[in-house]
Amino acid sequence: MNASAQIERSDVISTDDVILAIEGLNVSLPAGMDRDHAVRDISVELRRGEILCVIGESGSGKSVMSNAVMGLLPPQLKPVAGRIVFDGRDLLTEPPEALRDLRGRAISMIFQDPLSALNPLMTVGDQIAGVMRAHGVGTAQTRRARALELVREVGLPDPELMLLQYPFRLSGGQRQRVMIAMALALEPQILIADEPTTALDVTTQAQILELIRDIQRRKGMSVMFVTHDFGVVSEIADRVLVMEKGHLVEAGTVQKVLTRPEHPYTQRLVAAVPRMRGDTREGMQGTPVVLKVENLRKVYRSGGGFLSKERRVVAVDDVSFELRKGRTLGVVGESGSGKSSLGKLLMKLIDCDGGRIILNGADVAAMPEAAFRPYRKTIQMVFQDPFASLNPRHTIGRILTAGPVTYGETPGVARAAARRYLDMVGLSASAFDRYPHEFSGGQRQRIGIARALMFDPQVIVADEAISALDVSIQAQILKLFADVQAETKVGLVFITHDLRVASQICDEVLVMHKGRVVESGPPAQIFLSPGDDYTRRLVAAIPGAEITLSHDGSPQP
Amino acid sequence: METGRYILRRLIYAAIMMLCTSAVIFFLINSLGNPVELMLAETPGVSQETVDLISAQYGLDKPLIQRYFIWIGDLLRLDFGTSITYNLPVGGMIWSWGLHSMQIQIPAIILSVAVAICAGTWAARRQHSRQDFTVMGTVLLGQSMPAFFLGIILIYIFSFVLGWFPSYGAISTRRLLWGSALFDGLWHMVLPVAMISMFNIATLTLLVRTNMIDTLRQDFIRTARASGLKEGEIIRRHALRMVMLPVITYVGLLLGLMLGTSPVTETVFTWPGLGALYVMAIQQLDYPLIMGISIVIAVMLILMTTLTDILYALIDPRVRLE
Repeated sequence: MNASAQIERSDVISTDDVILAIEGLNVSLPAGMDRDHAVRDISVELRRGEILCVIGESGSGKSVMSNAVMGLLPPQLKPVAGRIVFDGRDLLTEPPEALRDLRGRAISMIFQDPLSALNPLMTVGDQIAGVMRAHGVGTAQTRRARALELVREVGLPDPELMLLQYPFRLSGGQRQRVMIAMALALEPQILIADEPTTALDVTTQAQILELIRDIQRRKGMSVMFVTHDFGVVSEIADRVLVMEKGHLVEAGTVQKVLTRPEHPYTQRLVAAVPRMRGDTREGMQGTPVVLKVENLRKVYRSGGGFLSKERRVVAVDDVSFELRKGRTLGVVGESGSGKSSLGKLLMKLIDCDGGRIILNGADVAAMPEAAFRPYRKTIQMVFQDPFASLNPRHTIGRILTAGPVTYGETPGVARAAARRYLDMVGLSASAFDRYPHEFSGGQRQRIGIARALMFDPQVIVADEAISALDVSIQAQILKLFADVQAETKVGLVFITHDLRVASQICDEVLVMHKGRVVESGPPAQIFLSPGDDYTRRLVAAIPGAEITLSHDGSPQP
Repeated sequence: METGRYILRRLIYAAIMMLCTSAVIFFLINSLGNPVELMLAETPGVSQETVDLISAQYGLDKPLIQRYFIWIGDLLRLDFGTSITYNLPVGGMIWSWGLHSMQIQIPAIILSVAVAICAGTWAARRQHSRQDFTVMGTVLLGQSMPAFFLGIILIYIFSFVLGWFPSYGAISTRRLLWGSALFDGLWHMVLPVAMISMFNIATLTLLVRTNMIDTLRQDFIRTARASGLKEGEIIRRHALRMVMLPVITYVGLLLGLMLGTSPVTETVFTWPGLGALYVMAIQQLDYPLIMGISIVIAVMLILMTTLTDILYALIDPRVRLE
């Protein structure tokens, strides 16, 4: 098997090299969905010792396909045609007990969110050993020894101690390593990875991709890697499949698909990948300061009760910046950097422990809620999750007008404003009487932006406002932010974990790490010649540097 | 270490809570007025001197605060005073009546948990099927039936019509079943235990079913399936542990409330339990008895909820940090 890992990446292969063949797979959707097939007429060959990336946006059917291989489709999704051939057997017609025996032993899977994918009540060691016990492998002692070996192999610290840990004590990257250790326990021939790095920070993502690559090479394993991120694809893939709305639209080697995509959808997708921009954005200069923050500080305290030690976490430490009218300030950092706490402090959703927030000439940092109320109109927020942040039982009209009306606006004026802003964010006025569930994620985020605009604010805080969206939608919403800003001259605080996105929209960027601003300046300086070590690591970890370099040669839609 | 500190903290909270509860019970009951006066109010020809004399005999002439501390001191020595109506030590009465209550409550709780886990899991795995609806329908019927009505139906069918089980008492007064006190006792327990169980089963089955449905949708169950675990193993090793968390909370409450809180069951079956005694004490204005049973119920509830918290923390490592 190790020899087969050295196979040339070529399109000419013999059937011996194919470890898993999906032939004409059709999976039907229950009636009443927007289309009748989750995947339609998909034929895929996974070769020995290769990493095959399956890329597509949400709803493309990429996860349905990988779950079909595992026999883990929810009951409402039924494979209605085709074969999935592994080891000379059609997995779609095998009895459930035979499939169960293959799962975890011959074909393993890792998932997107490693916290929820691990049992919160069981130790790491028990969960890894559990895979072996399920297949009747070894004794309690040998299973424990093997678990220890696996924990070492995936690079977890303190292996002995790690076996006794509970998942909630581990970091996101460590949890994903535990998942990988579980998947590798019985040396499977195929690993299916369903967006395994999507929930991770960019530096952690780089480490996990490296680990998967490394293990795959050493064991000659075949990997089917499902992702939505072309950056990840360029880092890890041998071959790529592109899926759109349940169809396979393009397949080929990674070089071919990334540099010479043939299908129009692939071309659009590759073009929409956010790229690092080194140029300074043309924007307004010398405009008045609308928001000034000085030495802002937030400390989270917990457990400071009876018989328990107080835990202190400095979330925001001595942060200062200025935001001018019509300009965009990017706040970038990984999870735990304090960037979201900063956003909440600016909105006064949490109280600060020191420093000043000067909005409209007044220091609002220490203001009680009642005194702050008139200022709330001048600073508004766009949230990350476009699904959770709109009340499903209210019409769009009500969602938009509720705020201004409670601030004393007459309903008539508010309704007129709502229609105007719906038009500005690119939705038709008919959206007014409809409900959130009738809109797509991108459209809902447009509604979220319209809601923020209703007060005619001077500052909008956008907290990861595009991270939950597909890349093609991300590009549209970014453009909308730029358009809205050009029209309303609003100052924008754009909080994001994605440096590429920040480089596209910001005039100035703050890089946050452990609550502190480690570096600030125009994107060109931050991203092309970072002065701080941490910034350098962050920039280096961005996946898909190759595509960034081939920017000029990339296809135009 | 962490767990030890958590347990110690819980125990200290429990002690503080008991002290507060005892104060509430004492001052609330004594705010009703001088018990001797109240008891003799309907007896003609009792002079004020007699009332004062009897009051002094029970120590009722001392200031309220002082009496509270005397009462607490007595309680710590397990001296609950003497019942006015029965002229027996309250402590001994609570012990023997309480044991009778536990005799039907504990088997009922064990039976209920066992049945509810099976029925709830069974229904959850067949959500929205006909079997699921049948289980749910039965459960709702059981839950919505008034207690005394259910008791009377049980007596009518199994005692009056079929004659299988006795309808009252804890033991036969004339001839024991098969000449054995053990079998006779068990024989008498059947109907009261069945009655209490039906309510517990109803609530617990709903609890197990809802939580099981929720747990089976979790990502870590999908991981277990992807690892090739058998369906039974997934339920036993992964899902049930999660489901047991709310069940433990509820059972802790049931155990905490098992003394003195089933007067209806105990009255319907003329069972000599603490609930029936409590009602009698209140009717008779038997102050030492009322206060004794009240404090025992309170202490029991606090102890059981504390035990629940500790057990919860042992199962769920995340709780210990809070």
